[in-house]
Amino acid sequence: MERKILESKRVGDRYYEIDHPTGLKIFVYPKEHSNSTYAIFGTKYGSVDTCFKRSDETESCTVPEGIAHFLEHKLFESEDGDAFARYAKTGASANAYTSFDMTCYLFSCTENVYASLEILLDFVQSPYFTAQTVQKEQGIIGQEIRMYDDDPNWRVMFNLLCALYHNHPVRIDIAGTVESIAEITPELLYRCYNTFYNLNNMVLCVAGNVDVDKVLALCDKMLKQNPPVTVDKTFAQEPRDIVKPLTEQSLSVAVPLFQLGFKEEVTAQRKSTKELVATEILLDVLASESSPLFRRLLDAELINESSFSYEYFEGPGYASIIFSGESHDPKKAADIIREEICKVKASGIEEEAFIRAKKAIYGRNVAALNSSDNIANSMVSLYFAGRELFDYLDTIAEMTLEDVNDALKEKLDEQYAALSIVNPIQTEV
Amino acid sequence: MAQINRSSICDGVQFQSIKDTRFKTMRMSVHFLIPLSSQTAASNALLPFLLTRACRDYPDYTRLSQRLAELYGASVSADVGKMGDVQRLTITAVGIADRYCFGGESISRELAHLLCQMVFEPPFDENGNFREEDFKQEKRQTLENIEAEFNDKRSYAKLRCEEILCENEPYGISRYGSKADVTALSREELRTAWETLIRSARVEVMVSGNCEPEEVAAGFKASFQQQRRENIPSCDTKIILQAGAVRDVTETMQVAQSKLVMGFRTGTEPDTPEMAQTRLMATIFGGTPHSKLFLNVREKLSLCYYCSAQYNTAKGIMLVQSGVETKNMEAAKEEILKQLHEVQAGNFTDEEIDSAKMSLCNSYRTIEDYLGSMETWYLAQVFRKSFRTPEEAAAQINSVTRQQIIDAANKVTLDTVYRLKGSEGNA
Repeated sequence: MERKILESKRVGDRYYEIDHPTGLKIFVYPKEHSNSTYAIFGTKYGSVDTCFKRSDETESCTVPEGIAHFLEHKLFESEDGDAFARYAKTGASANAYTSFDMTCYLFSCTENVYASLEILLDFVQSPYFTAQTVQKEQGIIGQEIRMYDDDPNWRVMFNLLCALYHNHPVRIDIAGTVESIAEITPELLYRCYNTFYNLNNMVLCVAGNVDVDKVLALCDKMLKQNPPVTVDKTFAQEPRDIVKPLTEQSLSVAVPLFQLGFKEEVTAQRKSTKELVATEILLDVLASESSPLFRRLLDAELINESSFSYEYFEGPGYASIIFSGESHDPKKAADIIREEICKVKASGIEEEAFIRAKKAIYGRNVAALNSSDNIANSMVSLYFAGRELFDYLDTIAEMTLEDVNDALKEKLDEQYAALSIVNPIQTEV
Repeated sequence: MAQINRSSICDGVQFQSIKDTRFKTMRMSVHFLIPLSSQTAASNALLPFLLTRACRDYPDYTRLSQRLAELYGASVSADVGKMGDVQRLTITAVGIADRYCFGGESISRELAHLLCQMVFEPPFDENGNFREEDFKQEKRQTLENIEAEFNDKRSYAKLRCEEILCENEPYGISRYGSKADVTALSREELRTAWETLIRSARVEVMVSGNCEPEEVAAGFKASFQQQRRENIPSCDTKIILQAGAVRDVTETMQVAQSKLVMGFRTGTEPDTPEMAQTRLMATIFGGTPHSKLFLNVREKLSLCYYCSAQYNTAKGIMLVQSGVETKNMEAAKEEILKQLHEVQAGNFTDEEIDSAKMSLCNSYRTIEDYLGSMETWYLAQVFRKSFRTPEEAAAQINSVTRQQIIDAANKVTLDTVYRLKGSEGNA
């Protein structure tokens, strides 16, 4: 097995990249003086993958919404007990999460690293679903869905996504609905498992106090051969335009919440690292605490420092810039954001603001290399998007004002914007 | 592993530092500690936010933010919290280590300089008060922070339970003070509160990470030493060892999922050997995904998505939180109490003890991999006589016996049951 070493002179760190014969991509990022080790085993399979076609089949198939997340819950169980019970013997702290485009299983530990890693590699490769365990899980996940129904931050986001996207499954709650998960059967779970939990579609990343040789020896022992199946993910055709410019809901909140999103054109390819970095710098110039926009919103008492934020929400088949926060007058806050965008688009970005933002973004990305969990999580999501950690840092350092001004021209088109608001329930206030 | 150094700066002001070059960042915090009181909670709570808005060199909020961005995205943040019956006001600066800058700048020194100015030289107006605009902004934002606590029902239910549980103790006061008290604040009160803080609060100056701590803290040391320090409070916390009659409160809101929070007295005082025993007991009861609560209330009975127990060492209380359907609330409550009885009766295996010990030791040993966690760890000990590293705490946990766990469980008494009940007609 060839071990590729990737090194960053800028930050003085290095890690290994290995292509295992089973098809699994492996990253090992040693931090010799760390007490803990963090490992993550992920598949490029998330809530948006509800329609797919396997390379060994002729027909594409559609599965219930929320099934990737359901599968994540159920994978912890095996015929002879659950994975948590096994981790209990190593002291590792274990967890898992499902996002729009991936499902990850992880642990963090300070002792028994390899025993914990063996558990991780074993249970993720050992599905066990029965009618009885599926039924029990419907109750637990039903409660999880109810919890999110009350979460105003969650609601304001999905309402926005429903206002931006007509057909793309990113508009559907990651956990699905009580109705959709009722359709899940052991057979469907096995079908999704056998399609997406193929090592060719997965990655293992271990960061912290580890020895690369020992990790690889364990992988040789534990990894199973997989048939060379590939999957075509089919997303329903998504029109360029949005569904509606405004969406509102009332919930038990004291302050209204808002999200203002600008939908972008996408292709079958994920956005490039350069575009991502340019967008990150652009948003910092536009809306960080050092920006004129932030100051204007603050002075007008339309946002507060603890809740205002922005992000580039980007994944397979979707990309949007989203501004969010709490505001006593969300519509007015959104108007001011729109006005400032027009202003900056007309004038372009100034050199001074660009240099400042670039330094800030660079510093925060360096700081993120402090912790093994950050590193491992970033490496997994970067890998699934076809990106690389140190290249990302270099791209920040090499970014020019022209790059960012070019991005500004393409982005934040008012024609494709939608505003989502969660209002207090009138009778409660 | 890097060593912690502790020294006294002046009366009631202590300096703690950990130089640790494993990190790519440095961190510096000033923690002001004062007894919680309803008279002063609101004015104190506003101070860290007000002080971090501007400073002498950068009296304008936007210019200050721009300067921090230029320092490679350094951050200065403010926070308020409670440590038992003590109010904690914190100002923290975090930045990357000097060696990662493009052009040899010294971020740590500049950050320390800014932080020092923020604390000792706020840009007052001509009458010696905090400026009207700054005051108005921070007051509004604190009121919005209080309102935001209501938005997150999981943490809101926990706060309400603590408030009811400790209604006759300082700990029952909100970390921000009450909404009415914040609304009524004046700039004159803030000026007085600031003077009291500088003169009389217990202060912990903490510097950690990839920097030269002594150099970074030099300005702070000099500034504090110039102050006339007096009336340093003792910062005691009242511990009620045993619950009286159970307080039972139900509130109704238009939510899909109900919340059940149960508040217990643990009968354990901080700074005693029993603390480790109660900690281990709470972990077996509800601290991990292999605890009694998780395995029974969630996994076996499918009553809720989350159900866990947290032990608050400083206050000697334990809270059990869960999110349940309204119709299952009583069943969940009964099951939680049943599981506590199981621990009290000694119905747990040696494997359960071992896994709880391993899980706790794992989290102790992980502390040293995060500057923020290390700071929290050592700050939590400032009122204690004994002083322990995470490794020493792990050793203490490992020495706890089965009988000690049973004894700890039998000291636990139920004090408060709080239900946030979802009304049937949802909006």
